[in-house]
Amino acid sequence: MMKKIILLTALSISALFAQVKSSVEVPYIPFEIKMGKGFSTVQADCLMCHSFGYIINQGPQSRKFWRGKVDKMIEEFKAPIDKKDAKIIENYLFENYGNGKEQ
Amino acid sequence: MKRRDFFKTSIAASAAVLSSTSLAAGETHQPNETRKVSKYAFPEKRPLITYSDRPPLLETPLSVFTEEFTPNDQFFVRWHLPDIPTHIDPDTYTIHINGMVQRELKISLKDLKNDFEQVEVNAVVQCGGNSRSAFTPIPGGIQWGSGAMGCARWKGVRLKDILDKAGLIEGAKWIGFNGREKAAYYKTPNFVRELELDELDDHVIVAYEMNGEDLPYLNGYPLRLVLPGYYSDSWVKMLSNITVTDKYKSLFFMDKAYRVPDNECECETPEKLAKKTKPITIMNVKSVIGYPENGAKIYHNSEVVVRGVAWDGGYGIHKVMISLDDGKTWDEAQLKEDLGRYAYRSFRFGFKPKKYGKLHIMAKAVNSLGEEQPFSKDIGWNRGGYKYNGIQVVNVEVV
Ligand code: HEC
Repeated sequence: MMKKIILLTALSISALFAQVKSSVEVPYIPFEIKMGKGFSTVQADCLMCHSFGYIINQGPQSRKFWRGKVDKMIEEFKAPIDKKDAKIIENYLFENYGNGKEQ
Repeated sequence: MKRRDFFKTSIAASAAVLSSTSLAAGETHQPNETRKVSKYAFPEKRPLITYSDRPPLLETPLSVFTEEFTPNDQFFVRWHLPDIPTHIDPDTYTIHINGMVQRELKISLKDLKNDFEQVEVNAVVQCGGNSRSAFTPIPGGIQWGSGAMGCARWKGVRLKDILDKAGLIEGAKWIGFNGREKAAYYKTPNFVRELELDELDDHVIVAYEMNGEDLPYLNGYPLRLVLPGYYSDSWVKMLSNITVTDKYKSLFFMDKAYRVPDNECECETPEKLAKKTKPITIMNVKSVIGYPENGAKIYHNSEVVVRGVAWDGGYGIHKVMISLDDGKTWDEAQLKEDLGRYAYRSFRFGFKPKKYGKLHIMAKAVNSLGEEQPFSKDIGWNRGGYKYNGIQVVNVEVV
């Protein structure tokens, strides 16, 4: 019995924010992504499912790595990106977040 | 500087460059713990290390890990998909139980709190990819330091009690858990978890409270699955649906993500990936040092207390060993109160630095099975960068 009473009081005081009538606001973070050739394609194709944080966090990588990521987005996550755009994005990523190695 | 030290620092400094150049797996090193908290605070949180806002990915700074429980406002956050409801009405929220059950149930939060036995469990929740930045070349996914984890006191209702109320039908074998997070694109696979009924025990609960408060929004308000001992990929947040089946459904996040090679070292090389893989499931033994931090200056002959936490998948921590001489000799740290086999065991170790200059402090946890943490360099690579549990090295300077 004791337990239930404690619980009910806890219920009324512990209510924080998620349950108020207005919605929770998650801040927008302006990730500083580099401008460069092909950027508008990246912006159109790579922001649908997640922030640029995912891209920046990988650090400088090879062309093969970036091609692999673009392929993964298309094959595993079904990103609607055509071959032409995929190549533009790969080039953008390698030019701006590349390590100079092809492999 | 000794030659070895030089290599260590140069590897750390150029980790990203080194990582992708060679195809062969490089030596596993210390995870990247250099990131600072962001200037932006997320709802109900203090500013944390921030990898993404959409979906939110937040890491707890290492300095928080000196106590058994991780404060809710510093607890890490990890979602997979961007479409997360931003408004939840606790008066109408229900969880559905369906599939191979005698009675389909829709349970409201209020019923959950009133009609079932309320239980508590202290348990660590850790992302399978915690410390992923230790691997070379970089595996897929977020390059976490070691703060994609936390320990809390979870309160809720046993999953078993809920299933008993629904009544399982003979042949029931699998149980799928669905949360409210959704993909932005209709073809992207949703994040659903499946577990075999045999795997579940009485410690598995559906929790609504964490450290004495409602679950924070970003940690899965109003309900999440708590699977003590298991990596966090199965701790489904904003739990909405529990479906019992006799067959395993093939799903991306089950079949391709959160798996390691099914061999003894759970390792492979980039050019020769293991053919057989298995889910990451139970956590291995690990510890982190919360104080001092890398780069700290400590006074010669002063009283220094090293503090940190150790845990494993539920066998319990037997001891934590500290080395101040690069692993040549080890001394036992003091363990604080045992808060249950799934919780952090916090440790402390006092000493007076006698030598000026660089000092490396290492911590190694040993569990009750005698399993202990390996050195980073002895951990083999895997494509997902999962289950890193290397001995942590904190570099300080005695001045
Ligand atoms: C249809 C949805 C979708 C689109 C469009 C998309 N991604 Fe992703 N991406 C995902 C998902 C889902 C994940 C995994 C999320 C998680 O586990 O947190 C992911 C993860 C990543 C990662 C982390 C590394 C990894 O292997 O998980 C990188 C890098 C990335 N995406 C880059 C891109 C780039 C570049 C583009 C544009 C070509 C893109 N994404 C477009 C769905 C998408």
